[in-house]
Amino acid sequence: MASASETITPAEGTVGAPRERLWYPYLLIAPSMLMLVVVSLVPFLYTIYLSFHAAKFGRVTDFIGFDNYAVLLTDPRFWNSIGVAATFVLIAVPVEFMLGLAGALVLNQNVRGRSILVPLLFMPTMMAPIVVGLLWKIMLAGSWGFFSYNVLERFNLLEGTSVFASPEFALYALIFVDIWQWTPFMMLAFFAGLQALPTGPYRAAAVDGANPLQMFFHITLPMLTPLLAVIGLLRFIDAFKVFDTIYILTGGGPGISTETPSILANKMTFEFWNIGEASALAVLVWLAFFAFCNVFYQVAKKRLNAF
Amino acid sequence: MAEAQSRPEGSKALLWTSVTVVYAAIMLFPIFWMASMMVKPNDAMFARPTQWLFMPTLEHFSYVLEHGFHWYLLTSFLLCTVSTALVVIIGTPAAYAFARFEMRAKDDLFLFILASRMAPPVCLVIPFYLIFAKVGLLDTFLGLTLAYMTFNLSFYIWVLRSFCRDLPVELEEAAALEGWSKPQIFRRVVFPLLRNGIVATAVLCFIFAWNEFLFAFMLGGRAVQTLPVSIPKLITSQGVRWGEMAVVGMTALLPVLAVVFVLQRHIVRGLTLGAVKG
Repeated sequence: MASASETITPAEGTVGAPRERLWYPYLLIAPSMLMLVVVSLVPFLYTIYLSFHAAKFGRVTDFIGFDNYAVLLTDPRFWNSIGVAATFVLIAVPVEFMLGLAGALVLNQNVRGRSILVPLLFMPTMMAPIVVGLLWKIMLAGSWGFFSYNVLERFNLLEGTSVFASPEFALYALIFVDIWQWTPFMMLAFFAGLQALPTGPYRAAAVDGANPLQMFFHITLPMLTPLLAVIGLLRFIDAFKVFDTIYILTGGGPGISTETPSILANKMTFEFWNIGEASALAVLVWLAFFAFCNVFYQVAKKRLNAF
Repeated sequence: MAEAQSRPEGSKALLWTSVTVVYAAIMLFPIFWMASMMVKPNDAMFARPTQWLFMPTLEHFSYVLEHGFHWYLLTSFLLCTVSTALVVIIGTPAAYAFARFEMRAKDDLFLFILASRMAPPVCLVIPFYLIFAKVGLLDTFLGLTLAYMTFNLSFYIWVLRSFCRDLPVELEEAAALEGWSKPQIFRRVVFPLLRNGIVATAVLCFIFAWNEFLFAFMLGGRAVQTLPVSIPKLITSQGVRWGEMAVVGMTALLPVLAVVFVLQRHIVRGLTLGAVKG
């Protein structure tokens, strides 16, 4: 653990003469900050600028105030996308969380061969999302897909067609894919947290005759809570951004049944070329992310003593 | 359970190990299945019921090579290498500075870096597209390299800083007392100790760039096509080329397979942005 991160630690910065200290750190961060201003701040400000202008087909014309926002906020398609994203995140993340925690507890038992199992378990998370999409496109392909034929059709769930073509189930199939992809991340992050817990309290509890369930609820869970919160939050933020897998699996369809704000913004930009409205959407998403991001930072810093 | 009583530890280990192995086997089955499709002839692929045994074929490989997919592989490799190298060169001093020195508004700067990392790529691709179109960076190698900086440079600084903070500051203080200059201290004391952290973080950056789809798809155009972007191209007007997709998909997966084994513990740290020390 890093030393007291809540208080300012001047001792860490006292290397060298005081006068030198003034400009040296700024010199070190200058190239990076300059780069990030160019590739991150400038695009953000430009998006805000676009969102206040009439911009269609790549041509930016008049300043129109909040019109783009007004159009967006009265667009049922926008609210549909928020609903889709909310459903996606609110089902996928809690399931990943519970499965991940259960998996971490299993892995924390005396499992042999972890040095091989752990990396293998990490595969889904580290794969390119586009390949994850491809993988499930294959497994869930209509009629011949391995999973479609051997599981779904066995239980008479779908006949002959792909689950991704079903307006009712496509979203749940995407959620399923996300769970497959991200449960390992949760599991291995929690496992790392479990491994770092001190053993003292457990020995004391064992002396007092506590059973494993009591130990879990009175020792493990309280000690792990900050970590669970930080990881859950991080995953929550990331789940809102999912684009690649949805793009290759359903492209937002059928209809608009799996259209998240990411997919909608992309369609608005590159299909309808309605850049003003897409920018307004991007700005709103961006602001929401800043808020989440700030919460993540504060929680991680204060509760976990990280950063 | 009689056995469990006689040798509780051993059989418990066996039980939990088998649970984990079975779980891993089920979870990884889709990857295995895709791998088998690389050499599966089309008629076996679409068979109902599922056909497990087949005569392996290399037709998918030859299609992929005939259509120049090895060039996409090369593009991916070059792009990821160059952008990662750039990240390491300009990001390493910044990470060190954030870990060691007092600065004005350090927290705000740091939060700005985090925000760059977290920003949804879909939001960035709109302004990038328009700006790049104006300054002629659309469909260029340089343009994509710059776009990759948003998520990778911020990621790199953020995670490497957590590695920097693990280093004992006493060594640097001692070197300062010896009268070494700051660049000397960085080069001779900090850098050697930080090397593993730098490699681990850089490899993760490489993988993120390797896996990236949206920027490459929208900003790379026809001129700069990476491996992930080439996958949807196999959904042709004459139908989907599944076997070929499997070949390209598995190729895209190989470096990831290598990395998960080599990096192991560092992955958790990287993916949680340093919040969890793996």
